[in-house]
Amino acid sequence: MKFNISDSNGRRVFSLLDQMTFADRAALDQVLPQLMAGGIRELAVDMERLDYMDSAGLGMLLTLRDQASRASITVTLVKPQGDVKDLLVLACFDTLFKIEY
Amino acid sequence: MSVQGNGARILIVDDEELSRQILLDTLGFVGYVVDCADSGWDAWEKLDAAPTNFYDLVLLDRSMPGLDGMELLARIRQDNRLLHLPVIMQTAVATSEDIADGIKAGAYYYLAKPLNLKLLLSVVGQAVEEQRTRRRLQDDLEKRAAAMRLLRAGLFRFRTPDEANSLASALARSYPTNRNLAFGLTEMFMNAIEHGNLGISYDEKSRLIDEGRLDQEIQTRLSHPDFRDRAATVEVQRLAEDVHFCIRDEGEGFDWLPYLEIDPSRAFSTHGRGIAMSRRLSFDRIDYRGAGNEVNCTVRLSEGHEVAWASTVPMNIRDMSEDLKTAHDMQSTLLPTQAQIDEILSVSGMHVSSVFRPNKEIGGDVWGAIPLDENRLAIYLADFTGHGVTAALNTFRLDTLIKYTIEDRDKPGVYLTRLNQKMAQILPVGHYCTMLYGVIDKRRGLFTFAAAAAPPPLVFEPVSRELWKGDSRGLPLGVYAAMTYKDREMPFPMGGMVMLFSDALSEARPEAARPIGVGGVSEGLRQHAAQGGALEAEAIVEAIINGWESPLSIVDDLTVLCCQRAF
Repeated sequence: MKFNISDSNGRRVFSLLDQMTFADRAALDQVLPQLMAGGIRELAVDMERLDYMDSAGLGMLLTLRDQASRASITVTLVKPQGDVKDLLVLACFDTLFKIEY
Repeated sequence: MSVQGNGARILIVDDEELSRQILLDTLGFVGYVVDCADSGWDAWEKLDAAPTNFYDLVLLDRSMPGLDGMELLARIRQDNRLLHLPVIMQTAVATSEDIADGIKAGAYYYLAKPLNLKLLLSVVGQAVEEQRTRRRLQDDLEKRAAAMRLLRAGLFRFRTPDEANSLASALARSYPTNRNLAFGLTEMFMNAIEHGNLGISYDEKSRLIDEGRLDQEIQTRLSHPDFRDRAATVEVQRLAEDVHFCIRDEGEGFDWLPYLEIDPSRAFSTHGRGIAMSRRLSFDRIDYRGAGNEVNCTVRLSEGHEVAWASTVPMNIRDMSEDLKTAHDMQSTLLPTQAQIDEILSVSGMHVSSVFRPNKEIGGDVWGAIPLDENRLAIYLADFTGHGVTAALNTFRLDTLIKYTIEDRDKPGVYLTRLNQKMAQILPVGHYCTMLYGVIDKRRGLFTFAAAAAPPPLVFEPVSRELWKGDSRGLPLGVYAAMTYKDREMPFPMGGMVMLFSDALSEARPEAARPIGVGGVSEGLRQHAAQGGALEAEAIVEAIINGWESPLSIVDDLTVLCCQRAF
């Protein structure tokens, strides 16, 4: 998993690149505190350049959502593409997350 | 000075010429045979090409361009030939986290850079010595195992759990083709001690386990005047076609009948399954005699001992540790047996076939088929996140839930909603399972199902070659307790087949390409049928995997379930 973290217009943007799979769980756990830090209210997960996500990736999004809601942060999934989008649709993640297409 | 090495062969892996030279000189000087590799890939080629046990040790630089030390280590640990090869990791940056990572990955020795040569020699010496001891022990064990195979008749006496365990594993080695014999013998021997000689009842054992005092109580009773003179025996007799293990204890016996099958009322209990599982996995017959303090366990020496799934398990099974082997065997008991599948065919006229290939020894998939009446068959396939032990434990939880949730089995949406409510209480955040539960109704010609993010079910009609793909959208199970799942319907024509599969199949990849997707699965099924292939899970999976220029690579637990209407 490759990622960038940036802040723009009061919203933190977590950009995911290439792929997010089972092997990336530890990496996500490590980055979570940094991602939630600084009293932010809004977290956007930018998926535009994420090419592939496996079912463990869904689990990681659920972990992210859980941690964020504890810190009263809203999570938005932004521009999922192709297979990633299909997987989110299959798992009805639009009932759990705000998704900006 | 040149005594330490004693000809042991070491592979040095370092991208810096100077480091290699220093190590080569130092280790060569004290009598080691040293090979060098200047990159991770170079080292991997050398290790891969070397005969078994060629190297005694690898001295590995952690940071290298290309394949680095950690990645090479992972490859070594995943290769059965190299599994036990000791690796010493050299590292300039050594935080405690790095070291913990390395140890977890299988590097048990560490050296900090720049190198202290005296320390180097002492660590290398220790690692090589430990490796040689291990190999010697293993040779010993193999020789003894060969001797045990000569056993024709014998009488053994045992009194303590330790004696029972070591006797069971020694006897099991005499029949290496029966993978579960050690498990079964251990269970039966322990019964003879605990419930026989020491008179611990089922309820007492539950309480002792609960209080964490079972081992202590066994020790106390072993030295108690009432019990200390009691011993159990096993008489082994090998005949032309079978082996008999006759186990006798000196207790009062017990009512053994209820324990021959796994009783659902004991499904949550900490114990009480041993006899039933041994009967299912290890022995061809178990015959209790008299009051129950004598039992004869029979193993047939011919083939045909395996249960239905056995033909589909991966080849590396013989390399498993004993615990994982037991876990693997326990997991296989969650799946329908061949006898149950035969019964489904005769009751509901549905031909059920399956492929179950955990990626590791144990997996996160489970499937089942429950006949509801002569026209209807409920089927399901569930896939837990992750692989390995955590996922596998969850399959046991789900299996228990399904066995206990009997109402509404004929209403997929309601049933899945119920299962989800319970799974949501059990599963931690980030864990979930995808599942498809459906009912095939022959009379109405319908497949009604509810889905939780599983891959879509496929219905195929072989004459018109029409293929329907179901809509399997749904929140995975265990995520949100208040979710309701809805029924969806698909046609199920005469001669039709329903196919369920775990996403390992649609995620399978041709070399350096994208996953084949549900489209690839459907296409593979169509082509297989067009060539007159049988609508049977194993054949379909093989056709899909081999229908590409190079066979597909599958990295997850693979389960496929096919149900075709036989009449």
